[in-house]
Amino acid sequence: MARAVRSGSRADSALLAACALLSLLATVLPVPIREAIASSLRRTVVAPLLMLQQRAERVRSAFASRDADASRLDSLVLRNNELGEMAAENERLRGLLSLGRHLRWGFVPAQALHGQGIGDEHSLTLTVGEAAGVRVRSAVVAHDGLIGQVTAVDPRTSTVIIWSHPDFRASAMAVDGSAFGIVRPHLGEEPERSLLELRGVAFRDALKPGTRITTSGLGGVFPRGIPVGVVLGEVKTSEAWSRTYLVRPAVRPPDVTDVMILSPQRVSTPLDSVWTSPTTAEGAVQRVVQRVVQAGDSLESLIAAAAAAVQARQRQADSIATAPLAPLPDAAVPESAAARAAARTATTDSVRRATSPTTRRDSLRRRP
Amino acid sequence: MSWQRGARAALIFVLLVGMHYFVRPLLGWRVSMDFLVIAVLLVAVRVRPGVAALIGFGIGLIADSLSPQAFGASALSMTLVGFSASWLKAVFFSDNVVLHAFFFFVGKWAFDIIYVIAERNRGLYEMATQLVLWSPLAAALTAVTGVIVLLMFRSMLESPSS
Repeated sequence: MARAVRSGSRADSALLAACALLSLLATVLPVPIREAIASSLRRTVVAPLLMLQQRAERVRSAFASRDADASRLDSLVLRNNELGEMAAENERLRGLLSLGRHLRWGFVPAQALHGQGIGDEHSLTLTVGEAAGVRVRSAVVAHDGLIGQVTAVDPRTSTVIIWSHPDFRASAMAVDGSAFGIVRPHLGEEPERSLLELRGVAFRDALKPGTRITTSGLGGVFPRGIPVGVVLGEVKTSEAWSRTYLVRPAVRPPDVTDVMILSPQRVSTPLDSVWTSPTTAEGAVQRVVQRVVQAGDSLESLIAAAAAAVQARQRQADSIATAPLAPLPDAAVPESAAARAAARTATTDSVRRATSPTTRRDSLRRRP
Repeated sequence: MSWQRGARAALIFVLLVGMHYFVRPLLGWRVSMDFLVIAVLLVAVRVRPGVAALIGFGIGLIADSLSPQAFGASALSMTLVGFSASWLKAVFFSDNVVLHAFFFFVGKWAFDIIYVIAERNRGLYEMATQLVLWSPLAAALTAVTGVIVLLMFRSMLESPSS
């Protein structure tokens, strides 16, 4: 038993010595041999362990990158929101610049400050006042259309009631001038409270949904041609001889931040062309259509005028041809009837040349 | 040791070796536990010192294969730690948790000391920092981990004296 223990102890010592010796030997081996042994171990025994380690590293980097990705995503979302707001603001300012370019004169740009109190939702405070030329009852517009009317003016600020104010009224018409009425806020419950009413439209003037409504220029406050909104449909009222229409406003007051205050001198100047030439494609198309129609109208009037001139000259020629010739002074009297006939023919020819269709068409063509 | 006990010990040994190459990289801590030391110590107290030295040598070689610059240092450290643990098992191994923790702590610290000396790649200051600061921390963490492993596998790891 003791011998077995002794021999076992010797074997342990021998194993220890061998292992320690091999380890020490490994520490002093040349690098290529060490690398070769390590490499063969990595390719065989350690390969599964290396795979485990790689997987763990991947999981860890995935965890780490998840946080980074989340924060990056948050930043991108935030940036995207900011970009959206900037784009909207850009669009708004572009619209305002475009409006200013088309108005050309007689306006004061201002910033609109929204009140936060009860009832303030129907009024705005503008950052310009009397010092900038703002007067009471001046019309206030945005690039989309009508906003309201100045009711009070201070040297540096002014107060505006917007179209949703219960006291707001404006004379309005269908954009083609086929119907007139008075626009006022629709005092119903939400969400219809945010609509307008076109009241007092003559019973014979039915308006289709989608008809654009603009200011009519009557009343001396709002110039003609400011967009008010679009007809949504007719409202049944107790008025027997007139119609009332619900109108979707062109401008949403909460979106208004920048406005134009029209000077009183602009009231007498129609603004039809200002809002029919927006920068949008639809506006551009409308503008082109309007120009074509105007050109057609002017062509028609020119043709009518030319036809009238032809008729007048024809009548003149006829009268010359049929009228008996008055006795002329001797010096002026042709000596024979043939000479008189020649003179009459020459006059008729000159009239015909002057009123010939070729000449008329050419003259029309040369017009811009 | 019956073959069943041997198989269970071998299973836990392999599991711990696997954890060394999965849990440590997963955590990525500056101070980390050493599952290889825990595995060698747990097995060493169940086998003869010579076999423990051989197991330590093998595990050390596996560890060395991933750091060829210090090739042999882990093998030497593990050999000595394994042999010592097996030789001293009667002294240290008991059912006392604190003694278990101390056993793992000393084993890991001894491993680091031998490794750093055998490695011969560090300066004096760096070596001292490693042995006085980082190694005790790693040894403490290894001790805690070793105790947790022991408690988790208590039913599988019967006392070597039984």
